[in-house]
Amino acid sequence: MTDDQLLRYSRHILLDALGIEGQARILASHALIVGAGGLGSPAALYLASAGVGKITLVDDDSVDFTNLQRQILHTQARVGMAKAESGRQALAAINPEIAVVPLQQRLSGPALDALVATADIVLDCTDNFATRHAINRACVHHKKPLVSGAAIRFDGQISVYDLRRDDAPCYHCLFPEGDDVEEVRCAVMGVFAPLTGIVGTMQAAEALKLAAGIGQSLSGRLLLLDALDMEWRTVRFRKDPACAVCGPTAAGQAPGYLPRPDADRESAGGVCRPG
Amino acid sequence: MRVLIPSALHAYTGRPWVEAAGGTVGEILDDLERQFPGIRFRMIDEQGNIRRHIRLFYRREMVFDLATPLADDEELMIVQALSGG
Repeated sequence: MTDDQLLRYSRHILLDALGIEGQARILASHALIVGAGGLGSPAALYLASAGVGKITLVDDDSVDFTNLQRQILHTQARVGMAKAESGRQALAAINPEIAVVPLQQRLSGPALDALVATADIVLDCTDNFATRHAINRACVHHKKPLVSGAAIRFDGQISVYDLRRDDAPCYHCLFPEGDDVEEVRCAVMGVFAPLTGIVGTMQAAEALKLAAGIGQSLSGRLLLLDALDMEWRTVRFRKDPACAVCGPTAAGQAPGYLPRPDADRESAGGVCRPG
Repeated sequence: MRVLIPSALHAYTGRPWVEAAGGTVGEILDDLERQFPGIRFRMIDEQGNIRRHIRLFYRREMVFDLATPLADDEELMIVQALSGG
């Protein structure tokens, strides 16, 4: 670590649980953040400021005027710019020492698979179930820890699927993919600005803990936030032994990818565009 | 017992916590339907299965079986998957 790094990250290094070793592991980490909206904004800002060495920031969307209420990566001057590039500029302004790779694309199929394979930690900051399940399948396949957050109206949910461990549940164990899923759109339902900050910041906290190898992650626990009454609730869930995604597969077949025609389908109508 | 309703279904109940009577998960859902007509079908499909985006938690653990017995002084939490980001 350089003198500048020792100074920049000194308040982390002072933490007994983290120290120089933990910060060094953070610096050596590659985080994939899918979605540069309400959740991805605070998550990316904290991962960058805390020194995650490489951040791949993916979003196919451009900054919209209605995003500025909560998507704090972006500025009014950058309305119309690709969110991934706008995010890169925001992160570079805070910490020019880390590598930020902006990708303006809707991740699916082989591109998603290849990116997840190269990442150490994946943050799901997306706004639709189809992408959430596609990310989960790729993380199961490559045994990558997945930090998943969601926020709508005054409701937040956050959990970790630590798929490096064979006994850890995956997203599909908790909420199996189904055709009758009700997609709730923030463009229609609205979302309380700091709620996305709370949930996205907790995703950053979990991701940094995983990167540093400290503490206890949210694996097997789902946190529910009611921001209107400001109450947190915790529920527990287990790996589904018969899970269609992370459960037993035919001999020689890697888990995560199913022989199904719609395995990488994207929802055309259920997408919450302005994030 | 006290039942936590996910906000997507507050249109039926008007509030997050409601009281419902019954000795099993199924009976609680039946009583919710009596009080708030239409709410059960949002959680249970035509085959009588819990919808995949709805999860029920009792004593903080997930409940799959509608015949699961419940104690009146406990809480049933109904959770709906969120996707907004």
